[in-house]
Amino acid sequence: MVPDLRPKLAFVLFLSVCAFAFDWQILLPLIALVLLFPFALPSYHPASDRARHLFFRFILFSIAISGAIIVLNGWILQTGERVEVLPGISLFSDGLLFGVRTAARLLLLSFSVLLFFSSTPIPTCINALQQSGLPRTVVLMLLLTLHFLDSLPERINRIFMAQEARGAPVRAGFISRTKAFFSILSPLLLSSIAESVDRGVALELRGFLLEMAPSAKPELPAQPFSPLTILLLAASFFILVISIARWLLP
Amino acid sequence: MKLSEQFTKETSGAAIPFIAFCIALNLTVGQVTSALKIPIYLDSIGTVLTAVLVGPLAAATAGALSNLLASAMGSPTMAFFVPVSLVIGLFSGTLARRGWFKQWYLVVLGGALQGVLAAVCSAPISAYLFSGVMMAGTDFLVLYFRSVGNTIMESVFYQGLASDPVDKIITYLIVFLLMRNLPRRLTGRFAGAANIPSRSA
Amino acid sequence: MAPSITLESVTYRYAPGTAPALSDLSISLPGGTCCAILGPTGSGKSTLVQLLAGILAKHHPESVGEGSLTIGDHRYTPLPNDILFPDVGLTLQDPYVQISGIRETTRKEIELTLETLGRDLVNEGGNIERLMHQLGITHLAARKPTTLSGGETQRVALATILIANPDVLLLDEPATALDYGAQANLKLILQSLRGAATVLFTDTHIDLPLEVADYFIVLKAGSLQFGGNRKQFLEHLPDFADLLPVEAWGKVLSALKGDPQSPFVRRIVQAAGLL
Repeated sequence: MVPDLRPKLAFVLFLSVCAFAFDWQILLPLIALVLLFPFALPSYHPASDRARHLFFRFILFSIAISGAIIVLNGWILQTGERVEVLPGISLFSDGLLFGVRTAARLLLLSFSVLLFFSSTPIPTCINALQQSGLPRTVVLMLLLTLHFLDSLPERINRIFMAQEARGAPVRAGFISRTKAFFSILSPLLLSSIAESVDRGVALELRGFLLEMAPSAKPELPAQPFSPLTILLLAASFFILVISIARWLLP
Repeated sequence: MKLSEQFTKETSGAAIPFIAFCIALNLTVGQVTSALKIPIYLDSIGTVLTAVLVGPLAAATAGALSNLLASAMGSPTMAFFVPVSLVIGLFSGTLARRGWFKQWYLVVLGGALQGVLAAVCSAPISAYLFSGVMMAGTDFLVLYFRSVGNTIMESVFYQGLASDPVDKIITYLIVFLLMRNLPRRLTGRFAGAANIPSRSA
Repeated sequence: MAPSITLESVTYRYAPGTAPALSDLSISLPGGTCCAILGPTGSGKSTLVQLLAGILAKHHPESVGEGSLTIGDHRYTPLPNDILFPDVGLTLQDPYVQISGIRETTRKEIELTLETLGRDLVNEGGNIERLMHQLGITHLAARKPTTLSGGETQRVALATILIANPDVLLLDEPATALDYGAQANLKLILQSLRGAATVLFTDTHIDLPLEVADYFIVLKAGSLQFGGNRKQFLEHLPDFADLLPVEAWGKVLSALKGDPQSPFVRRIVQAAGLL
């Protein structure tokens, strides 16, 4: 059974629209809400330990960045009230306000996307997409991408070691690093492209990708949109229309 | 539907694993360049490869899927730049169709145009959604342009102009050189085989 | 009933005006035979099996083929331009690329072929188990298919083709990447297929073919050097001493269990320079 991802996606859309439409006073509580979701609702639990780790590391990282954004803006945009934070160093209120706005928007946008992906493993996403009628070729493409993502780092490592064994200065200065990068790029691309073509041939030889092959997609009756999805979509649409109208007619 | 027919035509046969590899390449090369601290991204190299060998629609798909997967794998803001990747894929695919990947000077020119176009497309997104903050080293460049009195939109655009064309020219050149070194046995299978210089016997 | 295969004056060029990769081949194979296609690298062995699988024209749009191919009662003139799976199955030289990489377990990897063909997995459960048992891969059912060894990968790759029950099975250099244990295993598998399908496999060495094949084709630079049954092949064996690697001839002699004093064996030994 594939879970219905539409409420979650609608929620991401709703938060993105909010990030665009509202000022920081509203965004900050929303950010707090997003941070509570993984704890409060089972469907938003991180899907794996790795996802949990990524989620919280990213949150810490982006909160630190936000602090930097606020301070840098307050320092560079020298209009508005002057606030002396340390003797000799003063920040300006307009810049600080702008920094807070930017940071709030950035945090909400990235946290909402992150909330979706950390609680939904990529294979689940792909399954759900297949159920909703994504072409079989695109589904296959995504699954194969995951396979290549698994195998590429190992391949790079192997080529890297081979180059290093031949004396390429992989760990030296900037110019040598750039050179080393290009020296691995060429064998990497040549061998991987050949492999991907052979893989395509092998798939065709198993009847994949043939035009006459019947679709293996199980035909499930389309699930109706849940009330929550409809509510979130309607709210997003409403907020978007209002904010665009306010923007166009001052 | 003409578009879906075109898409099916482009993505038939051996092209599917190749496109998948190109998406993985976008993501992996992006990680390697940042790990090696090289001041170029090359994170659209797979998109351009697809554009040349397969076609514009497949390249747009590869670009969009790369952004979504990057979003899923720890850079959440990438999802908002899907439109830029779509444009890169369509533009480079169209250039390839018109034979711009057959001569090195057209490749350089195409890369430069692509860079400007990418800067134009991404500027409104980073300005309106993120106020120019991408949580990357280039943010300092944006801050610099703003501190000398430009608006956010202008600053983001200037930053894009400063970094995108160089990156795209290098990307285009790598793809061009690669195409000249790939055996015909491989390239001959793709819909875009006519887009690349045939090695004269 | 495994189909017979007939090629009539087949000539194949990868591009117009180039030297032919296959030149004027006429071969007639009875149904159910196990045929070895022998010859050095570049002699056209892979081209021949790919042609029989129908994949050549599709992947080499510039190529030119002449002549006709008959499989069972299906005659292809011009040569087939689309893949003939599931009637004809082909396994490639590199077994690793035949694992799709999109399935979590070996069993699901095998099921993938059936899904593609639109078959009902519930009905096929017994067939999958039987095949996995026959190939000796039952214990790998729950393993991730991309983590298997070379010999295991090859058997799984073979299973992904055999599960569709092809009438014709083509194997491109199945023995090349295998160690001795895995080769012995492959021999048993090929023997068990005898009669059930028409099998053609390519090899650069002569030991495995001598153990399992009952029809032999020898190619040299795209032309047919020899085509005939086991008895005829053994009679002509000394003629191919320059085409087939010398180190294997000792094995040949033991496989033939020949009387070392017989004129036939002496001819072989002389031809191979073993004296």
